[in-house]
Amino acid sequence: MYETVHATPDGQSTVSRFAATAAAQGFDGVVVRNHQDARTEFDAAAIRDAFGIDVVRGVEIRTDDRSRASGYLGSFRSEYEVVMVRGGSRAINRFAVESDAVDVLADPMREDGDVNHVLARAAREHGVRLEFNLAPVLRATGGRRVRALQGLRKLRELVEQYEPPYVVSGDPRSHLALRAPRELVAVGEAVGFTEEQIRTGLTEWRRLAERNRERLSDEFIAPGVERGRYEEER
Amino acid sequence: MKHLPKHLRPRWRYVAVGIETWPDAEVTRRSFQRRLWFAAQNLLGDPGSADADLTVLSVSFADGVGEALVRVRREHLEDARAAIACVHRISRQPVRVTVRGVSGTVRACEEKYLGRRTEVTDTSVVFENADRRAAARGALLDLRTDGSYTGATRYDIE
Repeated sequence: MYETVHATPDGQSTVSRFAATAAAQGFDGVVVRNHQDARTEFDAAAIRDAFGIDVVRGVEIRTDDRSRASGYLGSFRSEYEVVMVRGGSRAINRFAVESDAVDVLADPMREDGDVNHVLARAAREHGVRLEFNLAPVLRATGGRRVRALQGLRKLRELVEQYEPPYVVSGDPRSHLALRAPRELVAVGEAVGFTEEQIRTGLTEWRRLAERNRERLSDEFIAPGVERGRYEEER
Repeated sequence: MKHLPKHLRPRWRYVAVGIETWPDAEVTRRSFQRRLWFAAQNLLGDPGSADADLTVLSVSFADGVGEALVRVRREHLEDARAAIACVHRISRQPVRVTVRGVSGTVRACEEKYLGRRTEVTDTSVVFENADRRAAARGALLDLRTDGSYTGATRYDIE
């Protein structure tokens, strides 16, 4: 199971601190999801060796403008292992679920964002994962949390009906906000998810990272088509 | 009052909770209990909170790390785990709480999961080309940066 994290300068802890803490809590990997204007440089292989946990290079595109989002998408797709678009408005949600190049539509119910049956179907068709963001359940109170829970419930009902792929995250900005998989499961169950849904969502990050690594590798040409041993130069 | 016959007494589980926060924060049994009740009430509601009956029996805390022993009703262990996970702030300081393990007796819980301490030392390191004060615990570093803290490790300064 993987967790997604905002490392410095987007968050308050470095990638290695997240890795150290997540490893101690029983995660198999972390996906770095820094905002495009607060990206971070790190040596994923060295951190992997030091703490025994996979580190995935990801980026989260945050903008309300479709054409800018499209520009970022073009430049980040070949550079990052996981490319996410943060939802939060109808226009950007729609753009994300209809783009094959987007891996994850992050927090689609945030602020003015909404998902309906049309977007849920589009997400399935284009293989865009919808994110269940547990951050407000873990760290907000009162009205903000109630609205977030309403959003999660609506999203869950759509996911159960139309079966688009989905991911789950606790979305921490500091290692102090990390919660273990088992605790996320307990929190998920307390707000209406099943244990299986939370575990599937946390594991989906790994499948996503593995698929994209394969696609980014030099041997990859198209799904099912790879450069084999007969293609070597003589 | 005369105590209950054995088969009517509540069944308890004892939860060992690890606590981590920034070096200058303070966590006491009272402040943790307060936040835990708030968290339980907000997540589970009054009835759920009363059912789980979360009681902090002891807290040992120093230099930004500590541990606590929490008693819950056996049937509501998973609710308790969820409520504990929702404690994210104690005395206005962000905290990380994590369930280390669960036992059926206080003694087993203490022996198995509590009583571990790593030395915290104050040191000075170079991070992002600036000298920083840091609290070090093994490979982990809490760096003092302009009025707040940054979580890092030895790996970041080498």
